[in-house]
Amino acid sequence: MDALIAKADATQPLSKKRKRTHPSDSKPGPSQKSDKTSASITKNTSLPTSLRSRTDKSVDAPQYKHIANPKLRRSLVQTSTHIAQSQALLSDAIHLLPSEETGFVQAEDTMERTWRLSQADIVKEAGGEAARGRLEMKLDGGPYRVRYTKNGRHMAIAGRTGHVASFDTLTGAVHSELQLGETCSDVVFLQDHSFYAVAQQKYVFIYDRDGVEIHKLKAHVSPTRLEFLPYHWLLASVGTAGYLKYQDTSTGQLVAEHRTALGACSVLAQNPQNAVLYLGHQNGCVTLWTPNLPHPAVKVLAHLGPLSSVSIDPSESGRYMATAGKDGSVKVWDCRNWKGAVREWTLRSGGKGDAEVEWSQKGVLAVGSGGSVNMYTSPSIKTPHHSSSQPPLYLTHPLPSASHRPITSLRFAPLQDILTIGHAKGTSSILVPGAGEGGMDTGEGLDLYEGVKGRREREVRGLLDKIQPDMITLDPEIVGSLAPPSNDLFSKIRSLANRPFLLEIPFARLPRAERLRVSGKADLTEELHSDAESADGSDDTKKKVDNEAQEKRKMRGKGKSLKRYLRKQRKNVIDPTAVAIRAKIEKQKAERKAEIRKAKYGDEPQEKSSALDRFKRVSKE
Amino acid sequence: MVKISVLQHDLSSHTATRPGDPTPVSRNLNPLVHPFSRARERTRALNAAKMDRMFAKPFVGALEGHVDAVEVLAKQGDSISTVASGSWDGGIIVHNLSQRIQMAQLPQGHKGKVTGLSLVGDSRLLSCGVDCNVKLWKIGSDEPVNVFPGKYAFNSIDHQRSSSIFATASTLVQIWDETKSAPISNLTFPTSTETISSVRFNLSESSILASVGSDRTFTLYDIRTGKAERRVVMQMRANALSWSPTFPTNILLASEDHNLYTFDIRRLDAPSLIYKGHVAAVMSCDWSPTGTEFVSGGWDRTVRIWQTGQGHSPEVYHTKRMQRVTSTLFTTDARFVLSGSDDGNVRIWKGKASERLGIVTARERAAVEYRSSLVDRWKMDKEVGKVVRTRHLPKPVYTANKLKNTMLESKRVKEERRRKHTRAGESKPKPERKKVVLVEQT
Repeated sequence: MDALIAKADATQPLSKKRKRTHPSDSKPGPSQKSDKTSASITKNTSLPTSLRSRTDKSVDAPQYKHIANPKLRRSLVQTSTHIAQSQALLSDAIHLLPSEETGFVQAEDTMERTWRLSQADIVKEAGGEAARGRLEMKLDGGPYRVRYTKNGRHMAIAGRTGHVASFDTLTGAVHSELQLGETCSDVVFLQDHSFYAVAQQKYVFIYDRDGVEIHKLKAHVSPTRLEFLPYHWLLASVGTAGYLKYQDTSTGQLVAEHRTALGACSVLAQNPQNAVLYLGHQNGCVTLWTPNLPHPAVKVLAHLGPLSSVSIDPSESGRYMATAGKDGSVKVWDCRNWKGAVREWTLRSGGKGDAEVEWSQKGVLAVGSGGSVNMYTSPSIKTPHHSSSQPPLYLTHPLPSASHRPITSLRFAPLQDILTIGHAKGTSSILVPGAGEGGMDTGEGLDLYEGVKGRREREVRGLLDKIQPDMITLDPEIVGSLAPPSNDLFSKIRSLANRPFLLEIPFARLPRAERLRVSGKADLTEELHSDAESADGSDDTKKKVDNEAQEKRKMRGKGKSLKRYLRKQRKNVIDPTAVAIRAKIEKQKAERKAEIRKAKYGDEPQEKSSALDRFKRVSKE
Repeated sequence: MVKISVLQHDLSSHTATRPGDPTPVSRNLNPLVHPFSRARERTRALNAAKMDRMFAKPFVGALEGHVDAVEVLAKQGDSISTVASGSWDGGIIVHNLSQRIQMAQLPQGHKGKVTGLSLVGDSRLLSCGVDCNVKLWKIGSDEPVNVFPGKYAFNSIDHQRSSSIFATASTLVQIWDETKSAPISNLTFPTSTETISSVRFNLSESSILASVGSDRTFTLYDIRTGKAERRVVMQMRANALSWSPTFPTNILLASEDHNLYTFDIRRLDAPSLIYKGHVAAVMSCDWSPTGTEFVSGGWDRTVRIWQTGQGHSPEVYHTKRMQRVTSTLFTTDARFVLSGSDDGNVRIWKGKASERLGIVTARERAAVEYRSSLVDRWKMDKEVGKVVRTRHLPKPVYTANKLKNTMLESKRVKEERRRKHTRAGESKPKPERKKVVLVEQT
């Protein structure tokens, strides 16, 4: 027995072993400073575990010192350290690993202007496969709306007069071409090119790749703009009635229906980073919507006149928004801080025709107005500037002739340096070097050459990972994040200190009202009321007063017999009994008032003298 | 001259070069390309938690053959498949788990209840019963090899793994040698007048022996000194005990007060952990050979599997027909659990409810591991945690649990109020672990 105990005592558990300090840790001087490079290498070299430093000290993860439970704290610290380390590695990988190159335009000396380049110059320089992106399509279906799939391979167009077509931009194969014969105001691809939705005159219709009508969405009445949220599988539409409607395309349910109450709306854009929808209204407001809020999450007065276009910058996690209004100005907004636009400028064309704005994946802003499309690059349009002058132009492209006006749609092709302009005479695709993201990602469906199998697999995975619509928030990182340490704790304790009897009772056995109070869920309006009353006097007297007041109120209800009698009488007949009763009630009322006044002020009632007093009937008692 | 470069993708690096080749996969590590990664991961975790519950089909099969209630189960130290069971009518069956056949059937092994079984070596079996006999059997033959007569009804038996010595429990603990017909020594605590209900040798230091008895005691003996070394008197009696296979000083007690206790024998003044979950007396317990989990069976007709160090929310197994569970075992491959119950069946359960039996491909295993780590990471989430925690319980167990909680809560409240109305500092709250042990004797 003793032998066993002695043996057991000799071997301490590993966690209780005295930790030997590593010689390199105790060394003073510059070597103390952790080196990011070595920290990133040591994990992947086969050093023995004992020699390896346990944590990469170059990353600083939160320590959660406010959490009392040590087990929970340890696991949180471990998780957050792991996340911080992998994020550090990720950022290293992004910066160090060779990625696919992006396009660019580089001026050799400062006198050269990139905007002088015409499309012919760019096409000549690009050559080969890339030059095939420049394309003019002459169609006579009226002004066209254009839309790309997520991987930028397939394109759908919808003409005002009902000409709808979808085709493969790489091979040029037309999947379907429809003459719908009624006004079509927008088109959008669903999860991939096998389905697309068209906003037609009365309803939204969904067609499959071959142009067969699959669904008629009767809930979406007279739609003007459509958006598809790919990770939530939601098709959103807004129409002339001013209703924003969300329909789940995987289950078919109408998820939400919001009345904007701002009239007909024809400007809709989505923020791809948080799936919030941006609506532009006729009164100059931009409103931000999520399915779970019946009112806009944010409402900004952006322009002094109707909005004509809104777009969100995908390159900086949806931080910047560009708006164009019919007042002839373009504004760039910082969505974290709505205090005025970051930069604004007026268009050459003035307010004539609707201006269109569109950001590319890499943050090139295209503004189409009048007869030309202007492109601006990132740093200049996002830095605050006081004058309303135009930022430096990157590229510009004039439409061939005046008959091509108006420009109704601008879309950058994902993963390519192509901008497609929809106008009255069809569409024209132009080359914009530096617009598209270079790196493809197969798992996310950002693959230009995705095969049938890959697409099917991605569809199934996408359905399995479908995010519930009520999880759309302005800050997508709120999911799974820890509540910040509450500063309210002290105030709670202080509030409890006023009632010392509550301090001893554990939370679970407090009365419900108190539990709600402590957890901050109580109805504050009631709270304020009772607090005001309890300011003077102890709790008991307060309760009594409350009870009396309630009783009094009860007495004065409609149920009183005299009043009930009067109510039953016809109003236009003068009945002597009714008159008498009325007088009696008046008298009682006056008495009650006098009593209350006496209780309040402690003296005889003093009627406020008024000019009309002279007409009062004097009783002859 | 202006330099212009337009983005071009290399077709050959994104498509399969020959037909039949897998399509090349490209990755973009930029987080902007992966929006909602957290929300999607949460959805995956929720799905994983739900799938885990969907696949949870723990019941593997039942081994029939006993006419009466199964009282005792025993496993063989170095075999995966051999298990012996003894019942109230005196029958003993040796099962082969992998083939589900009966290797030996002794319908009249003892007169009356078989109370203890121990498999010895490859092919021998020791059994004891209320008929005051210990019998040594050779598996396969119907007649005992040897019979050791005793004076009192035996309650439990355990054989040392690597010698011919075994111990029996009756009103006292007796040490026997297979070659001698009379006990070689009697062990008892000097002042004890109790019935010993279970006795087990330590697995590492085989001279050390522990027993639990009807006097609410838990006693440690050393057969080299030939006396009882320590004794602990507890609030309620323990029904069974089991030594930890990995930490030789740790011992597990299944107590009548619905709890299981682990003790470190170096510190007997308080249990190292209390495992709460059963709603009736715990009748049996057994460690997994890995020492990371153990199984217990109770009077509440449930079998529970506990993680060492986690004193709450065990895995619960139950069926409609399973009655009071009198004996439980973890198999030696740590994958299965056996339970013997009052309805006369020995049931085989999976150790992990949602584990798939049979060959698992590498991809499937990777997916399972990914899912489990997802669930582990997101178990703090409200919805995921709810799916992970919730277990369907039979209505009697559920109501008993509710009633028990109510009673415990009101007891606690009463204690608190009593303390509030006594003079300050006069009665301090006693930690739960300190309440268990009444006195420690040497």
